[in-house]
Amino acid sequence: MGGPDLLQAQVLSHGFCAGCGACTSICPYLNLVQGRAVLLEPCGREEGRCYSFCPRTEVDLPLLEERVFGNTRADPALGVHSSVVKARARRGEVRERAQYGGTVTSLVLHALREGRVDSFVLTGSRDGLLPQPLLARAGEEVLSCAGSRYLLSPSVGEVVRLLREGEGERVGFVGTPCQVLALRKIQAYEREWEVSRVGPVIGLFCTWALSHRAEGFFREKLEGRRVRRLDVPPPPANLFVIETEGGRLELPLDRVREFIPPSCRVCFDMTAELADLSVGMVEGEEEWNTVILRSEEGRRLFREAVEEGEVEEAPLERERLEHLREASLNKKRRAREEGERLGIRYLKGVEG
Amino acid sequence: MSRIGRDQPGRRMLLSGNEAIARGALEAGVQVCSGYPGNPASEVVEALIEASREFDLYVEWSTNEMVALEVAGAAAAAGLRSLTAMKNLGVDVCSDFLMTVNLSGTRGGFVLVTGDDPSAHSTTTELDTRSYARLADVPLLEPSTPQEAKEMTRWAFELSEELGLLCMVRSVTRLSHSRGVVELGPISRERRKPELSFPPPWTSGSSSFACMFHEALHQKMRTAAERFEASPFNRYEGPEGAEFLIVASGPPWIYAVEAVELLGLGDSVGILKLGTTWPLPEGLLRRHLGHAREVLFVEEIDPFLEQNVKALAAELSSEGVGPIRFYGKRSGHLPAVGELNPDLVLRALSSLRGVGYSPREEGYGRRAEELVGEHVPSRSMAFCPGCPHRASFWVLKRALRWDGREAVVTGDIGCYSMGLLPTGFSVEQTLHCMGAGIGTACGFGKLGRFGFDRPVVAVSGDSTFYHACLPALVNARWNSSDLLYVVLDNSTTGMTGHQPHPGSGFTASGEPSPPVRIEDVCRGVGVEVRVCDPFQVDEATRTVFELLQGKGPRVLVLRHPCPLTEAEKRKKRPRVYVDQEKCLGRECGCMAFCSRVLGCPANTWDFSKDKARIDEVLCTGCGLCATLCPAGAIVVEEEG
Repeated sequence: MGGPDLLQAQVLSHGFCAGCGACTSICPYLNLVQGRAVLLEPCGREEGRCYSFCPRTEVDLPLLEERVFGNTRADPALGVHSSVVKARARRGEVRERAQYGGTVTSLVLHALREGRVDSFVLTGSRDGLLPQPLLARAGEEVLSCAGSRYLLSPSVGEVVRLLREGEGERVGFVGTPCQVLALRKIQAYEREWEVSRVGPVIGLFCTWALSHRAEGFFREKLEGRRVRRLDVPPPPANLFVIETEGGRLELPLDRVREFIPPSCRVCFDMTAELADLSVGMVEGEEEWNTVILRSEEGRRLFREAVEEGEVEEAPLERERLEHLREASLNKKRRAREEGERLGIRYLKGVEG
Repeated sequence: MSRIGRDQPGRRMLLSGNEAIARGALEAGVQVCSGYPGNPASEVVEALIEASREFDLYVEWSTNEMVALEVAGAAAAAGLRSLTAMKNLGVDVCSDFLMTVNLSGTRGGFVLVTGDDPSAHSTTTELDTRSYARLADVPLLEPSTPQEAKEMTRWAFELSEELGLLCMVRSVTRLSHSRGVVELGPISRERRKPELSFPPPWTSGSSSFACMFHEALHQKMRTAAERFEASPFNRYEGPEGAEFLIVASGPPWIYAVEAVELLGLGDSVGILKLGTTWPLPEGLLRRHLGHAREVLFVEEIDPFLEQNVKALAAELSSEGVGPIRFYGKRSGHLPAVGELNPDLVLRALSSLRGVGYSPREEGYGRRAEELVGEHVPSRSMAFCPGCPHRASFWVLKRALRWDGREAVVTGDIGCYSMGLLPTGFSVEQTLHCMGAGIGTACGFGKLGRFGFDRPVVAVSGDSTFYHACLPALVNARWNSSDLLYVVLDNSTTGMTGHQPHPGSGFTASGEPSPPVRIEDVCRGVGVEVRVCDPFQVDEATRTVFELLQGKGPRVLVLRHPCPLTEAEKRKKRPRVYVDQEKCLGRECGCMAFCSRVLGCPANTWDFSKDKARIDEVLCTGCGLCATLCPAGAIVVEEEG
């Protein structure tokens, strides 16, 4: 373990900050600036939450898996899981606003309605571009967060704030692999807060995100138009698509990829391997999601949602599963190569 | 009734050196007084401001010392007795006018009071202004006591009027700020009508005219030297024909008297006290150098008398004076920097005269230090509780860290000069003189073409903005220098004691005067300007951060009044306290951010409970710590 000096040396100075907000929301020495943590000055502690919570400091994956799932992975590509299926929302109002199949929105609505948790930390956006963590308690708040955000969001900070300040409230979470990892580290290493208050954690597939430097680039292209949806269509399109109120904007993907932060280039996790269940797209079938069921809690939430008619389930084709595994392994390989190139090694006890 | 305005000739009262100078001016019938605040001279003007409520005189704080000297110079040219007071570095500022008004001359008595600061207690240098008297060829008087300060000032007006030449009175911190018994004289009620009656025109001329005026100036100085020969401000005390002579001026003369007495050297050492130190009273010096074999100079800051008397002695050597051994700063018997004190003079004299001197046993100092040990913690200078500069520098520090580039931050003269120190989070990196912050920033801001990629930030206060920053601001705009200029506007001249300035809304005498608003000036110059309250820490930080990304000159005014001036206006203040239930103490992880990092003297630590505490006596209720406490444990209770 370490403190702010090591955090600065191993993470911040290399640009590996994932902007998750785990360290910045409670510390007067760390500020979140344009999607990244900035250390104002070391506080003088040799060990601190900032270091132990950070998804880009040492990760003891077997320990975390043991804690979340009660066992460790058999599958190096997708992590601990019991099954992988296809799913989509049944309700039209959800499908209308969803990025793809609307499964995540449906699951969140279901969990809140059933009183499984009191609230969910989600990531919305006021302008469709800049992400905004939101503590959602009601249906409309949940729906307002439907759709993918591409810029880094300090959503874990919202959970931290709630753990530290809120009383007794149970909270669910939806986030990217790095955010889920930070949250799991908090649950594993925090000794004072009531971390058992964190309810279902729904992970989102993620290949990469964008640093906030991309904001200016997008704004220039948008010329004041409001964003409705951001998307990266499957290959070979090689495009970044922005749907605006004033029409569709297609940007060369390679130009947008220039804004991928170093943090994403060393990330080993495409499918949010520590979530209770993980949800992503199905390539070529925009109406559906891929769902990886991982923990008992994740399975129970999903089953209930299916039984209550919120979510429609279908088997995932074998070739699609293989494709998913290949994509996940590719991300791990690229992260390992980048890590070796930079001499960085934050995964402990796991081979790619 | 003002302290200095008692019309009771013969009455003896305690006056500070500065009050005595002001009293001397009143006794001389001064009609116009001007100045710019600066330690240790401010109280000369302040005492006259107070007196102006009873006496018919005009007193102003001017925007800077140059304007101040010009304002007084104009009144003097019109035949009125006028005085300007300023600190040592102020003479640098007004020297341009000084170096020409010496040639153009005066009709009314025109006195420049300078406050030098040996040891630079509250100044950036130990500048000795006596050299200006020599440089400008103007008469120089050096009082040693408050009584003398009054008498010399009064006489300086007479001398100035007789010569038609500005006259300088040089004080030092020790004299200006100590009190002594002063016997009052009658106050002059004479009020003159301003008249301009040159030819020749009021000018220093140029080419042959300048030379003509220069020659006239030399003639005036010859007259001054004649007057000085007979001046009661110079006197010799000691045995007739003493071979060991002390030449002393200013307060150190008192130390010399004390040293001679304590060492029992009264029958072998003579002291020549000089009160008129430029031009030198050569005849008087010749008489006493004639009997001396050894001379020790006792004076403060530069070896001014030492060098000039040595030059005179060299001239006199052909007339049978000498050889003389000279001691002082050059010989190392007295330190060449810092204030003198009786002990230093005693040691010098005891070693030169071979007389033992040990007021305390050996090792006393070391043992005293050992005894004090850790009981007295070392302290760095710090901003007052509630000072908006603390918030401003925290804002700047944050914004610069957010930016991540290594900025150059140039500082300026004022309370916020402490931005160099931990109390200002060591944000500032340079400090010179009034206006040099933005001036040097103009230079740094043009180095981009040579590959200099660091952002440039200049910091100054509000009073300094008007005093010396305006030309550099115009320069930055004209030459498109890449800099962010942050004006810390606390609506007063804080460091020197809350004198008003052009932005305050009133004048020295309290007359209302619409404020010259900094943002209006900047807009007029054509520079982007934003205004924030530094206590709105997040908003102000975002603004600085945004402005840092820009090009060309940009200005941010961080405005919040000085709590010391505010305290006078409001009876109640918000109560701020630590909710010790919420304060997590050492468990927090903030590592006592409030008391250790923020460093406000009112943020203390309750060691009995190991939690944060607020000293409610010191706290001004600004609430800065409450906005920064990560546990939200500091409560601000608005006044009921």
